Amino acid sequence: MSDVGTVLSTIISGMLLGGMLALTALGLSIVLGVMRLVNLAHGDFLVVGAYAGLFFLKFTGVDPLLGLPVIALFVAALAVPLYGLLLAPLGERGAEAQMMTMFAVSIILENVFVLAFSADTRSIERDYATLPLTLGSVTVPLIYVIGFAIAVSLILAVHWLISKTRFGRDLRASAADAQAAETLGVDVKRVQMATFALGAACAGVGGTLIGAAFQFGPSSGAAYLLNSLAIVVLGGLGNVLGTLVGGLMLGFLQSLGGLTLGDGYRDLVGMALFLLVLAFRPDGFLARRRS
Amino acid sequence: MGNLKGIFRAGAIAAGASMALGLGAARADEIVVGASLPLSGALAGFGSFQQWGYKRAVDEVNKAGGISIGGTRQMVKLIIRDDKTDPNATASNTETLISRDKVVAMLGSCTPALVNAGALVAERAKKPMVTGCDPLEVFMSVRKWNYVWDIFFSVPELAAAQFKALADLGVQTNKKIAIWHDNGPDGQAVGGKIWPALAKEFGYEVVQNAEFPVDNTQFTSIIAEAKSKGAEVVLGDAITPQAIAIRKQMASAGYTPKILNIEKGAEPVQFAEALGKISDGIFVGGYWDPSFPYPGAADLAKAFESETKLTSSQHIADSYAAAQVLLDAIKAAGSTDPEKINAAIAKTDKTYVVGPVKFDENHTAKLPIVSLQWQGGKTVIVWPKSAKTGELLFPLP
Amino acid sequence: MKILSGFAEAGVLLGAFILLWFASDFVDDYGLQIAFRVLIYLTLAESWNLLAGSVGLVSLGTSCFVGLGAYVAFGLLNHIDAPLPLVLLGCALAGGALAALVSPALFRLRGLYFTVGTLALAELLRLTMVNVSAFGGAMGIFMKKDPPPLPELYHYALAVALIASLAITACARTRVSVILRAVRDDEDAAAQMGVRPYRVKLGAFVLASALVAIAGGVQATKLGAIEPYGMFGLQWSIDVLSMVIIGGVGLRLGPLVGALFVVALGEALADYPEAHVAIAGVILIVLIRFAPRGVVGFAENLSSLTKKRATA
Repeated sequence: MSDVGTVLSTIISGMLLGGMLALTALGLSIVLGVMRLVNLAHGDFLVVGAYAGLFFLKFTGVDPLLGLPVIALFVAALAVPLYGLLLAPLGERGAEAQMMTMFAVSIILENVFVLAFSADTRSIERDYATLPLTLGSVTVPLIYVIGFAIAVSLILAVHWLISKTRFGRDLRASAADAQAAETLGVDVKRVQMATFALGAACAGVGGTLIGAAFQFGPSSGAAYLLNSLAIVVLGGLGNVLGTLVGGLMLGFLQSLGGLTLGDGYRDLVGMALFLLVLAFRPDGFLARRRS
Repeated sequence: MGNLKGIFRAGAIAAGASMALGLGAARADEIVVGASLPLSGALAGFGSFQQWGYKRAVDEVNKAGGISIGGTRQMVKLIIRDDKTDPNATASNTETLISRDKVVAMLGSCTPALVNAGALVAERAKKPMVTGCDPLEVFMSVRKWNYVWDIFFSVPELAAAQFKALADLGVQTNKKIAIWHDNGPDGQAVGGKIWPALAKEFGYEVVQNAEFPVDNTQFTSIIAEAKSKGAEVVLGDAITPQAIAIRKQMASAGYTPKILNIEKGAEPVQFAEALGKISDGIFVGGYWDPSFPYPGAADLAKAFESETKLTSSQHIADSYAAAQVLLDAIKAAGSTDPEKINAAIAKTDKTYVVGPVKFDENHTAKLPIVSLQWQGGKTVIVWPKSAKTGELLFPLP
Repeated sequence: MKILSGFAEAGVLLGAFILLWFASDFVDDYGLQIAFRVLIYLTLAESWNLLAGSVGLVSLGTSCFVGLGAYVAFGLLNHIDAPLPLVLLGCALAGGALAALVSPALFRLRGLYFTVGTLALAELLRLTMVNVSAFGGAMGIFMKKDPPPLPELYHYALAVALIASLAITACARTRVSVILRAVRDDEDAAAQMGVRPYRVKLGAFVLASALVAIAGGVQATKLGAIEPYGMFGLQWSIDVLSMVIIGGVGLRLGPLVGALFVVALGEALADYPEAHVAIAGVILIVLIRFAPRGVVGFAENLSSLTKKRATA
């Protein structure tokens, strides 16, 4: 059907993309792991990051990739009051209350986007976002390589944060058993707030990358939410490195699906895989390794 | 016991709710016209253009003193409801407009799924509806309409425009075509059937025909295949977010055919804004341009741009014209009786801002097609030669 | 005591049903349309409550079964021209069958994972319908014949809502409710006491899904044209969740109040598009925060407060 170069290019591109998507899923994963919250506004945090990148470039003329730390802080700063005002008071209530609150936030965010930025589809316009990178017979989008590098660095950084620092210890304790952690002196509410902010920051950075590589609009969040959920489940809730592996796996399988069945079936393959993993290994493929 | 109290409470809430729902009823001396539009959700862009077009037509009529019904001049009241890009909402909005607000006629939503949902309700309730934003063949394939009228372009004509343009302009390529289309109704018709047939007729070889879902995000396999088969002409049919993704991913894959056409999606100005210089040279079919020689065309675009400070779109024209057609029909009928209005619409035969409008036996009125090309962030008509506003840019930069 | 209360409730429901059935002669079209929407939503919300309030399963998969019911209904109507009651029976069977099919996998998931799993299922089905052109792809399917007149559709919706409400009454006011609550509160303990949690959950899931599928079939019949984004879209799952939260999760009158509220809010928002859909989000947040047991719970608290003051 297609030659080796095309097949290799597609698969490698898919895995690079998977790495980028892993970053976007990372925020969802740690929030799920620590707060048991399905953040239905996660995709919209991504879009916030994308708009932030767009306007950062527009108003400062500085490349948004250089501005990623600023964007990360910005999205985190937005997330903190969200947690404090909306989520913290609902701490003791069931899963639906927090989940539906985040869904309501999602509705509000989407409409704020339309009001503030119009419903137009946008894209972050940079030269490197439309250049190919060719090595031999393999061609991949340059932005995927850049995005992959940034994503992996950030994932490794978060992994170090969670496994080697005191905050990380507190985070893992809160994830394993919030009540026990409380009695051991961990300020669970503060840990949750920091986790939420960190998750939002990761989503924001991922969003900027997505905004440069692809396009986005006010309602783009929903699709990325589902993709992220799939990666999280593949890698295991709260498992940082697992998220990276999950992303790579999803990217690989989606490109296989795209090559054999057609690009339209990528999402379908993703969802089917997601369900299969949920059915047979709900703790993720890396269930034994817990972060 | 607790149950009874609960039931009374529920009843009170129900009563309160129905009172709230009763708000907004129209007065008896107004002509009430309704529209359900996607003002939020994925198609919010279209909805805002249509809203502007509909409102402008109504405002103009009211400024001129309204419409004379049975001797008295009555103002037109336009009620617009948001259907959030959900066909279920379009249907329920249309129902409410007809049964609660007692509209005498309807104006349509945008894109086949939404237009159909509202049109079916209007048809069943025997209320006339004039709509744009629904390709004619798709409109006709739903059913035989008695009360709904569509002003838009014909799908085969749009599909043929690109081939005719390439032939007339004497463009030289290796005649290998890749067709990429979404699986929406017009995507399947244009990309799945009409283009392959036309390609054969015009002497092209179709080396690839790929279909993808309307909201697809990744096109790597499709692009890779076209590139490896060496297609120098790419014809696409997709909505704007996908069109932007396609162009960007083509650039990142290092694939630059000589001719690139993306129907539907490449038309709005946000396409060029999102892509910047890589939008140059892309073709798209259009059904209206301010340079058209029809009454009020240039002024309409100017008015839109000065009022909204946004770039105008062809969608202001078909909505403006659709509303005018309806209002003219009400005027001609001199009555708010739906049957009389419907009969008057059938007799429409006038040139509006989109061109001559006259409905055939299938309740459709066809708009002319031109081939547009993006150059420097603006669209230029490159075909037909009689309507040209600029020179062809070839090959794709 | 409990059984008596159960019969009383069923009696009230039947009485209301008969009243509402004949009310169609006195109400105008707009009233019937609103009533139709409320009844469909009520069915969806009652079914959701059956799963969550009784058995502890939070589902985001309502859209999956609404869409399934819609497509099955059109398939039956267009291809074999069956009378509507048979068509709806077909929808119920399809919904129940799908539920039974996915339960072995779905029920291995506890709590959060179950919720995520239902979401994935709904999306998977939507993506399948969009991609497979045999089911009309993105264009969807049209009903060959005209839909039945509004009063008839209203009666169907009323009947479906009655069945759903009676099912809840049966589960909430009879001995069955004890079993359901045992499974919800502590599955393992219940198993040790001789209850078979898997069967109980399966029964609830199958029943709820069948009801949702019927509702989807009725809605589709009224629309006359369906496509994947409208019938499998997540807005169904989200609307149901909004309803039960606004009304009060697990409370008997919650679904009714929630359905009324959501329909009224939908009408109001459509009337005033300038108010923006964002208002719905704000209302939801406020309600979740300050009325944790929904409007019904809030009202109950108020009434018990006033009772206390009266007796103090």
